[in-house]
Order: sequence, then structure tokens, then C-alpha cells
Amino acid sequence: MSTARLTQAPTAVRQLPARASLRSINLSGLTNSSSSRVIVATITLGAVAIAILQLLLHIATSSSVYELSHLQTEKRELSTTTQILGQQVDSLASQQNLANAAEKLGMISNANPVFLRLADEKVFGKPKAALTADGRVSRNLVPNSAMTSSSIIAAPTAIQAADGSTSTIAGAPQAAAFIPVNANVANPSTAVHSVVSTSGGIPASPTH
Amino acid sequence: MAYLTPGDPRSRLRKIQILVVAIAVLFGARLIDLQIVEADAINAKSYANRAVSRVLPSIRGDITDGTGAVLAHTVFKYDINAAPDIVAPFNRKVNGQDVQISVQQAATEISTLVGQTQPEVLAKLVGTGKYSQVAKAVDAEVYRQIKNLDIPWLFFDPRPARVYPNGAVAGGILGFLDPDGKPLEGIELAQNACLAGKDGEETYEKGVDGIRIPSSAVTSKAAVPGKSIKLTINADLQYFAQQVLTANVAKLQADWGTAVVIEVKTGKILVAADAPSYDPNQPGKSSVDNRGSRVFRTSFEPGSTMKMVTAATAIDTGKVTPETHFIAPFGLTIPNSNGYRVTDSHVHGNDRLTVAGVLRDSSNTGAMQIGNRVPWQTRYTYMQRFGVGSMPGSGFPGESAGLLNTQSTWANDVVKRYVSTFGQGVSVTPLQSAMMYQAVANKGIRLQPQLIEGCVDASGNMTKVTKDKAPVRVVSEATAKSTLDILEKVVEQGGIGKHAAVPGYRVGGKTGTAQIIDPNTGRYGNLHAISFIGLAPVDDPQYVVAVTAYKSRTVSNSLGATPIFKAIMSQVLRTYRVPPSTTKSANIKTQW
Repeated sequence: MSTARLTQAPTAVRQLPARASLRSINLSGLTNSSSSRVIVATITLGAVAIAILQLLLHIATSSSVYELSHLQTEKRELSTTTQILGQQVDSLASQQNLANAAEKLGMISNANPVFLRLADEKVFGKPKAALTADGRVSRNLVPNSAMTSSSIIAAPTAIQAADGSTSTIAGAPQAAAFIPVNANVANPSTAVHSVVSTSGGIPASPTH
Repeated sequence: MAYLTPGDPRSRLRKIQILVVAIAVLFGARLIDLQIVEADAINAKSYANRAVSRVLPSIRGDITDGTGAVLAHTVFKYDINAAPDIVAPFNRKVNGQDVQISVQQAATEISTLVGQTQPEVLAKLVGTGKYSQVAKAVDAEVYRQIKNLDIPWLFFDPRPARVYPNGAVAGGILGFLDPDGKPLEGIELAQNACLAGKDGEETYEKGVDGIRIPSSAVTSKAAVPGKSIKLTINADLQYFAQQVLTANVAKLQADWGTAVVIEVKTGKILVAADAPSYDPNQPGKSSVDNRGSRVFRTSFEPGSTMKMVTAATAIDTGKVTPETHFIAPFGLTIPNSNGYRVTDSHVHGNDRLTVAGVLRDSSNTGAMQIGNRVPWQTRYTYMQRFGVGSMPGSGFPGESAGLLNTQSTWANDVVKRYVSTFGQGVSVTPLQSAMMYQAVANKGIRLQPQLIEGCVDASGNMTKVTKDKAPVRVVSEATAKSTLDILEKVVEQGGIGKHAAVPGYRVGGKTGTAQIIDPNTGRYGNLHAISFIGLAPVDDPQYVVAVTAYKSRTVSNSLGATPIFKAIMSQVLRTYRVPPSTTKSANIKTQW
């Protein structure tokens, strides 16, 4: 632009419009004041604080969610364990298992019940040893496909009696928690049960 | 070159502000539209894309016996499923080290647990599909073992399943469900309204990868578990009765047998045993005929056990006493019957018997004469009072009312009228027979037999589920007492009856050897329904035991039923610790 001015002859000078006269503008309302800086800073810091807080809350919530999920899984596992154990208990408590275990232990249901009336010590019936096959059914005849566990009859177990002598029992069902009783227990009160009498009936052992 | 005139900056600023505000208003309006006006629709659309709903199965209620022992309950079984498209070898940590497990090895491990062969399991793992069922409804223990194999392409779906922990004990009463959980038989069917719960519904959100977002589960409808049914049955006694009955039915080579135990003063059914019995855990292994309970459903001509009704009727109407004299010949022709002749089971002369003697010897000719003392219309009414021909109302589904012909049939058929005195021409179920004896044991009042105590909610509150029937005064208390005295003579002196005696107790009862009509010929065949129904102790009757063996082949009279009666009655008296009798039987004559 400046080169052109040097090579070309000056032409008639164009009359330029009169320049607008400059005047001062009061920008006091537009310039940053210290108060506005505070506001901006507050907003910025507030936003950052909210974001951090949200992040922390999210982390905390996520952690709780994972813990909840873990606990729910654990609960399911425990429910499954409960069910498995419950089925084992049901099997062990079923009449079929108890009958089988009793038979293995040599127990026989006596077909010839004899009763003793305590009032006058009178015996009703003729006592007979339960050695005949009359009163027993030799095997389980009532099927049970739900019986998945059965009592394990252990080898003969020695029991020490109060006088120090020992005797053996045919076996003890381990799975049924058959606990041999030691007659020399330190605290006899726990082993003593009173015989209760029901109204008008034959006195019954509390283990009935 | 034109210069921009600065104009009025405030005006420009205002315009910009207006523009910004306008845009903000526009955005705000859209925001309101999205957030408020269309919010529900958008949320629903969005939720539908990521939400998954599933049914929360309700747990069916338990069935318990009278002591609270559980006879039926619901557990979870598991379907083992695979996604064949992702079946591949995988790594498993063994002693802290990664070991690669081949598909074949995994299949071998699975097969040993689910009881299949390895090729069978492998065949289910091949393909490009996303679903293949490897095993259906395995037990929790097997599920746990398979889960511990850590096979990444296996999935497990729990499903409620019914379990009967005591197997066939009371199986005929309990009934069973089909594989989809629909009740098909027994109490399961009859009391479904109490036992069945209400399924719930759960909705959860899934992520982009299809995995469930853990915290997203929203239970929109909670599952309501079913209530429990408490029966009157004693499961231990039921087992004992089934054992004894099954063993004896096999010995007798009978088609089937039943045993019923009734608590006299309440009408509660403590035992309702059938042989053969069936295991409701595996209903498919039994024939359809054996899946119900004949105690409630099968009626047949009872034979001589009905003579007790004849005697009680005649005593109650004042026509005879226990010692009234009769001459019982071997055979007797029914008047106006075109020569229809009735004989006793064994040849004998003209026996001089009392009413008690007629029952002791179970004389048909004697029973006809006793019955003939009472107008047949009156006898008909008494039979109705004893429950013949009416529904017992025990609550068991499909129970039979037996058969009592109409009065007009009796009016026109003299033979039917006469033979009904010794238990022909009428039919009753084993339960009805037992309840006839319950009536005389209960001072002449017949109660409604109770099989179901009630429906029990989670709080233990019980509600009745059977319609109450009013007790029926069948005979007077004095007549009931006289009838008991007669029944005791059957056990004290009867040739067969004495085999039913239980040492220490006064026992009364009656034998029954009923002929069975052969459907092919329409005439009585050679096989019999042998029965013994008795009660004890006679001085204060507590229990009635009724035993039947149908079509016994090795023993043709009640001698085959008395050992079953004796074994069960002894066990009942021991179980409930009934004190032995302290009084002696009535001194009544049985012959003259």
C-alpha cells in the first residue's frame, strides 16, 4: 500500500467523511471488580466441590453396591447350604432311616407289649423276649426316594460304667450324633431327667 | 473504507442479552418439554430398553402331620444350562496355578455329578446356540458341586420343587404335583388354595453388556408364600401301620389293604394307611390305581362288620337285648324271594345263640333274624345315621359315599333288605366302616372324620378348611354300651376274634369276611375282603382300628386281618400311653 503511494501520481484527494469524534465511555459497570471475581471463584469452587462430592458419593455408593451384591451372593450360598443340611437332617430323621438304623443296632420291636401299672405294681401281659419275628418287619417296605443320607453305624463302642467296668454297644450312628454317655460325669444334674406323668396316662420319659 | 460506527454499545449489549435470553428460553422450554411434559414417556422408553422383568416364584406351604412333623415342603432345585456358542477350554486355579481345562474334561466332571455319560453331556455342549439344558432339576448338593467347578459357560436356573422327606409315609394322602408345580392329587390338590402362594415380580436394569446392574433390583410385587396345612395324621404311627400292612398284604397275596385309626372322642384320623403305598417323590413309578387312598375312595360290601349295626339297631329300638335268644341254623331261605337261601360260612346245626352269640359266631342266619325284628324302613334310617351312603366329609378329595340303595329299591327287593343285615347289598369305604364303630365307641354319637386340622398362616393362626358337619346321635348311650359289651365278647370268645386281643386291655371288635362280586359273572366269586374292626379299651374307648385286606388268597377269613389289627392297636395304645384296663368285661350270655 505504501509502494503504490510512491509510484502513482497523486490524484484528487477524496474528501473523507469527517471522523466521528471520540468520546469516553464509562465502562465501570463492565470491568471486573473484586466482588465479581469472588462470585466467579465461588461458583467455580462450588462446582468443583460438588463434582468432588458427587464423585465421593458415587464411590461410596458403588462400594455399598458391591458389598450388597457380595452379601446377596453370600446369602444365596448360605440358603443353599441350609437347604443341603436340611435335606440331610430330613433324611436322617425319616422313619425309614431310623428303622434301618435301629435294625442294624439289633433293636427289635416287641410284638408282645407288657405294661406295668404303677398304682398297684401290677403287670399286664406276659413278658416275652423280643426275639421272635412276629413283631418286626424284616426290612423297610415303605419306599423313600428322598432319603439321600443314612445313619452310619459305627463299630462296637466301649462304654465305661460308674463302677469302672466297661461294656459294649453294637454300634453308634455317627451321623445321628449318637453320643455315648459317660457315667462318671462331673456334673450329674445335667444327666438326670425326672419322669413325668401325663394326666391319667402311663408316666413318660422326657425323651419320649 | 468504511468505519464501523460504535453506535450505542448498551443497545448492542441489550440485543445480545435478548438473544441469549431468547435462546435460554428456547432451551428452557425444550428442557421443560423433555423433563416434564415428555418425561414419563421418555423414561419408560429408556427403562424398557434396559429393564428386565422376571417372576419371583412363591414358596408353596408345608404339609405337616398332627405333631408338626413336615411331610411335604418346597425346596429349590436347579436346571444346569450351557451357552454352546461360548463353550471353550478355560483356566482353573489349581494349587495357585492356572491349569487349562478342556471341554472334554469339563464334560466328564459334569457327567459324573448329573448321572449322565460324558458323550451325552458333550452332545449338549456342541453348537452355536446360546442355550442348551445339560441337566434338569438337580439337587442343591449337586448344584453346589457343579458350581464349584467354575465352568464359565454354565448357568444355573433355580426352580421350586416339592419334596416329601418321608417318602411313601402318608403318600396316598399327600398327593403330588406335576413337573410344572400344578397339584394333581390328594391334599396337594384339595388344599391348593391354602398351600399355593402368589408369585411376585422383580424388575432390574441391565448394562450395555447385558449384565445385571447390582443395585437396580426393584421388586414391583413381592412373592407371597403359601400357608401350611396341618393334618391329623401321626406320621410315626402311619409308618408303622404301612409297614405292618404291606408285609401282611404280601403274605396274604391280597390285591390291596387298608388300615385306619380313629381317635374316638374327636373323630381325628390318626392313620389312613394303604398297601401298596406310593412315594409321591416319584409318582410315575406307581400305577394310577395306587396313587390315591383307598381308605377314602374305595367302597365295597363290608360283610359281617355290618352285623354290629344290625345288633345296635335292634337293641336301640327295643326289639332285642344282648341276651335275646335266637336259633341260628346253618341255612335260611329268605321269605318271598323265590328260594334265595343264605348260609353261614361253616356248616353247623341249629345253634342256640343270644344276640351276643350271633355276633361272636358271626352267624348270617342269626343276623337276619335280629334285623327282621325291626321294620326295614327303621333299619334303613339307622343305616343312614351310621353314615352309610353319605359323604363322610373328611376333606380328602374324591371320597366316596359308598352305596345305600334307595328305599324304593328296598321296598321292591326283599333279598336286598335281608342281606343288608350281614353287610351285603350295601357298600362302604374303610373310613365309613371305621366311623360306624367310632359312633358306638363314642357313646352313640358319630362325629365327622377329621383329616385336616386347618390352614396355618405364618403367625401360627389356624383356620378351618373343611365344612363342619354336626355330630349325629346314632344310638342311645345305653345301646352303645350294650353294643360294646357284645363286641368285647367277639374278642373274648370268638374263634377268630380272640386273635385280636391285646394283653392288658379290654378290646372289642368284629370280624368281616365279605364275598366279592365277580364283574365278569355278576355273581360272588371265591375271593373275599377280609376285615377286622375293633376298639380299645372297652371301659373307656379311645381308639378305633379298622383293617381290610382285599382279595386275600392265602387266608380266606378274618384270621388274616387280626394280626394286623393287633399289631397296630398295640402300637397305638403304646404311642398314646393308654393305661391298661382295670375292669372286667360284662357278664352276658352268648348262648342258651
